[in-house]
Amino acid sequence: MSDAALQNSSIALLRGQVLDRLRLRDRIFHFSTVAAALIVLAILAGVIIALFIGAIPALCNFGAGFLVSQRWNPVTENFGALAPIYGTLVTSLIAMVIAVPFGLLIAVFLTELCPIWLRRPIGIAIELLAGIPSIIYGIWGLFVFAPFLQGTLQPFLIKVFGNVPVLSELFAGPPYGIGILTAGLILAIMVLPFVTSISRDVFEAIPPVLKEAAYGVGATTWEVVRNVVLPYARVGVVGGFMLGLGRALGETMAVTFVIGNAHRISPSLLAPGTTISATIANEFTEAVGDIYTSSLIALGLILFVMTFIVLAAARYMLLRIDRRMG
Amino acid sequence: MTFAITRMMAPVPVVGNPLPIGGGAEKITIRKLNFYYGDHCALKDINVSLYAKKVMAFIGPSGCGKSTFLRVLNRIYDLYPNQRAEGEVLLDGKNILAADQDLNLLRARVGMVFQKPTPFPMTIYENIAFGVRLYERLSKSELDGQVEQALRRAAIWEEVKDKLNANGLSLSGGQQQRLCIARTIAVKPEVILLDEPCSALDPIATAKIEELIDELKNDYTIVIVTHNMQQAARVSDFTAFMYLGEMIEFNTTTFIFTNPENRRTQDYITGRFG
Repeated sequence: MSDAALQNSSIALLRGQVLDRLRLRDRIFHFSTVAAALIVLAILAGVIIALFIGAIPALCNFGAGFLVSQRWNPVTENFGALAPIYGTLVTSLIAMVIAVPFGLLIAVFLTELCPIWLRRPIGIAIELLAGIPSIIYGIWGLFVFAPFLQGTLQPFLIKVFGNVPVLSELFAGPPYGIGILTAGLILAIMVLPFVTSISRDVFEAIPPVLKEAAYGVGATTWEVVRNVVLPYARVGVVGGFMLGLGRALGETMAVTFVIGNAHRISPSLLAPGTTISATIANEFTEAVGDIYTSSLIALGLILFVMTFIVLAAARYMLLRIDRRMG
Repeated sequence: MTFAITRMMAPVPVVGNPLPIGGGAEKITIRKLNFYYGDHCALKDINVSLYAKKVMAFIGPSGCGKSTFLRVLNRIYDLYPNQRAEGEVLLDGKNILAADQDLNLLRARVGMVFQKPTPFPMTIYENIAFGVRLYERLSKSELDGQVEQALRRAAIWEEVKDKLNANGLSLSGGQQQRLCIARTIAVKPEVILLDEPCSALDPIATAKIEELIDELKNDYTIVIVTHNMQQAARVSDFTAFMYLGEMIEFNTTTFIFTNPENRRTQDYITGRFG
């Protein structure tokens, strides 16, 4: 009897040791996952703090006027962010206005109408479009696309809208080739794959039976897409736009090549302009003096806040559609 | 499956059955129907006649092809490129499998209600009005009238009349299913296909749908697929038993449930397999 009890207690002891060892291993594992996650947060916080500290001299010097002034004079060290902010927003707007309808049409074609054998080639082509490095878009834009626009689209726009009020202002001036419009068009091409592939994914997530029901009352493809697919996928599609917009806002290389890098706000879309990221990329190496450098960092901070808001909104919307689809 | 044809054609002496088989006008006649998912043959040589303003129930174990059969009748399978049907499906004497068949028109004539309720992501009113607007240009008041009529016929008007602008998805499962039936009726079909319409519903909602089916057969030809044999016995005039893609037996419901010809039918309805 006592032998058995002794044996039992020694088994318990052994088991306790094994469990302790396992517990220790588990704790190490637990700690490493937490550490890895925390490092990401630390990096993010570090970037924000660095941007803030770097931007302080410029923000102190110019105050809120930094956001609304379009002066940009390195000689007198007088800086304002309005021209780059304007350029960033307008080029992104042009990109979205073009890419969103195109992307939606492609996504509808791929999910509803495309014959099976054509689906993969088109899908792959779109993904390849997303994989092209932006510097290549830049080179192509500068050497091929801009001269092409200079010879065709831009003279056409100037001629057609020359006598229309308001629009004549938008499409005024000599056709430079490069400029806000060209940058917007390049961005549209770059954003298109994002809008397309996310819209396609969202469309594909729609329960087939819902579409069958709509076809089942005799609706045509257009009616099904218009009344069932789009309303059901609305939130996800908007999320896709936002991710595309985030990319358009931050895109640097391709835009720097074709936008003309002029620090002024011109009413004409054909005129050269600049964006936040293009300004930073162009001028950081030659920035002398604390205020100049600090102004560029402040531009970076503004861009960071803009893209952060857009991406957060996109995530939120995609999260909502995920939850609804279970 | 020649014996299936003879079974249908031959006058069957059925005691106490008010509906002798072969009676009534043929709404849909199916001849030598084969159906393929890619290379897989899901329906084998189906021959059957569906009678106007009667309820036809299709029973059989899972995967026997009864839902597939339903999906042929309004060619909803056409949405999927690797599914195809061969043979003839004559709706009022015209082959709907013909290449020149207008699918939108066909689906308006042959409405379908699915296993899971499928309200569109819009208001209750719009769910009904959507289908109506596809075919008719109506004034607002006429459209209102049509919507109300469809909802009344589907026995859901009293429950939704005060919230026509609420989202269709806010209704309970049983209500959603009746909304879907109302939506189907609103298009004024001739045939209504019901694909296990009650399998996602509780007994009370099921009873309401069954009552509704009984009501609707005065005006429509109804084809219902069900897993529930009691349901088939309760609502249908004719019952077909399918097994492994073949039509084993088709006859009046009373006959099938009291005196089936085929041993497999008997085994299935008595619960020996399935």
